[in-house]
Amino acid sequence: MKLVAALVALLAVAAQAAAQNSTTPPPDILVSRHLAEAQGLDVGAVVRLATDAEGTRAREFRVAGIYEPTPDPAQLGVAPMGVRLHLPDLLELTRPVGVPAGAEYVASINVALEDPDEARAFARDVNARVPGVLARQAGEAAGSAGPFRVLERFHLAIAVVTIVAATVFLLALTIMLVDERRETVGVLRLIGLPARRVLVQILIEGLLVAAAGAAFGLVLALASEVLINTFFQWRYDTALVFVAITPDVAATCVAIAVPLGASATVVASWALLRRGGLRLARR
Amino acid sequence: MNALGFAWRSLVRQPARATLGVLGVAAVGALLLDMLMLSQGLIVSMQDLLDRGGWDVRVSAGELPRASGRMQNAGAAADEIARLPAVRSVLLVRFADARLERDGRRPLPVSFEGVAFYGDAGGTQPVNWLVLRGRDATGPGEVVVNEAIAETLGIEAGSQITLRASCVAEREALPPTRLRVTGVAEFPFEATSENTVGGSIEALARACGGNAGDDADLILVGAQDDPDVTVAAIGAILPGVYAATNADVVGRLQETGFTYFRQISTVLTTVTVSFAALLIAVLLTVSVNQRLGEVAALRALGFTRARVVKDVLSESALIVGAGGLLSLPLGLLLASGLDRILKDMPGIPASLHFFVFETQALVLHVALLAATALLAAAYPMRVVSRLPIAATLRNEVIG
Repeated sequence: MKLVAALVALLAVAAQAAAQNSTTPPPDILVSRHLAEAQGLDVGAVVRLATDAEGTRAREFRVAGIYEPTPDPAQLGVAPMGVRLHLPDLLELTRPVGVPAGAEYVASINVALEDPDEARAFARDVNARVPGVLARQAGEAAGSAGPFRVLERFHLAIAVVTIVAATVFLLALTIMLVDERRETVGVLRLIGLPARRVLVQILIEGLLVAAAGAAFGLVLALASEVLINTFFQWRYDTALVFVAITPDVAATCVAIAVPLGASATVVASWALLRRGGLRLARR
Repeated sequence: MNALGFAWRSLVRQPARATLGVLGVAAVGALLLDMLMLSQGLIVSMQDLLDRGGWDVRVSAGELPRASGRMQNAGAAADEIARLPAVRSVLLVRFADARLERDGRRPLPVSFEGVAFYGDAGGTQPVNWLVLRGRDATGPGEVVVNEAIAETLGIEAGSQITLRASCVAEREALPPTRLRVTGVAEFPFEATSENTVGGSIEALARACGGNAGDDADLILVGAQDDPDVTVAAIGAILPGVYAATNADVVGRLQETGFTYFRQISTVLTTVTVSFAALLIAVLLTVSVNQRLGEVAALRALGFTRARVVKDVLSESALIVGAGGLLSLPLGLLLASGLDRILKDMPGIPASLHFFVFETQALVLHVALLAATALLAAAYPMRVVSRLPIAATLRNEVIG
């Protein structure tokens, strides 16, 4: 069975021997790009792997390829020095002395279903039929998701504080801007426009300004998305995406920003419109 | 009247906008303070936690104790370490998963921490926990429990508990063991929702039905002098283990786990300061534009250019100053909320904090807000300093 397993902590104790020197070619392995770069390994190189620093029971393997590790947020900041072996080779290498072949255990088995929607039923079935085995849906088994859910809540809390601060500033600005147009509003009232009509006009203006601001904010966010991802991907040498402006995120931002901007304009204008036209137009 | 008093009157004349400006700065300032506290919080807190333990070197099978296997023949290893001249004392620590039996209810999952001193100075060294009530556990039949267990089970010093611990395999079917609780203790490295029991290694062996083996998760070492010398000495006699000083642990945290928070703190500090500067600048500019006639009149009355510039700067300083003052309690309140959110992360010790108030953070906060006030006032100050007096007054009259 040609299952490929991820090897977590094997040590490359010696690199680079000539493959042609051995009579039977050593088994193939894949090494992570980070390990290949750190150890100067190329495809075809022969390395010796052991499970301890002393190199006890080290075996030779041939680098058949170099792979880019799947980005793992839980390993941020740690260069993934990984090696992938065929499962029989891994078991042979890691089996303690005196343990017969076939007595090993595996930590987990990943199963791909024909119909992914049946994952829950399949897990239930396995749990009922195989005592001592715990089957879970992949989503539930992702224990490392916990920290990221916490980070999501943390980011949400910061976003709320930022929105509160922005709202307060927005209100201050609109109060000043509305005050600046006090005379114009007074004249409009004096020529007969009712307060409701002026308010609708202010609301439309507020909507337009808020929509333009939201659009500009999205453009700024898209630009910073590229900037932040480029920086952090370089900083951590990873393909992880740190900032993603998805359609959902964009829609949420617009859904918050536009009504907020328009409401701030209306709230700021309300006090002004309650005054009489003469008082407003007075110099 | 000096510039500050004049600026105060200008703000009081427009209470709504001044209040909103101050509140806006307070909210932004609170976020800024939190980000500055976050930038070093975890490191400071971890350093404090490690130092409070009283141990200088940690020896384990890998970089992360409990996550990288156990050290074999740990008793002999601890004995060898204790005999080193650079070593003052040694504490062997072994963890085991256990279940605390409860009448008619599901057993409570707990972590059993068994410890053993090696060397002469054992009795004078702190154990890996702090006894809050009662006394420390000394005998093989005695344990201390944490507050969570004491509250859940309603037990105190003198109570008896029944434990089933698994030292070798996860699914051992071991007989229950009766142990006497001698006190309630605080375990500095336990997670928020963790239930912990502590006792001697003999008590752990007893709870494991005598099947504890001779391995350890961690060996804590007190150094005679320089911890780096102790680490080198341990490395020379035990090359297969990982020995680290407290500074190494903190350094490792700085390089990996903490780096995300430092980066996000830097990004948010930059965004927050820019945001505040931009908005205060707009507030002041609009405010000044509305009062151009007034400023021109003051210039005509004899106010110097420097004086009107000073008025605008004072106005900015008052808004930012008042907002900054308000941001301190707000920031601390917000930090405690954000800290609670982040401490929900699995495996984070309850005593560790992400946000730690330091004088350095406060000084930086004040400096950044002062710079913001200056930056925000730059453009409106330029406007008033270049104001043509006669033309502005004429425009005011015929406008």
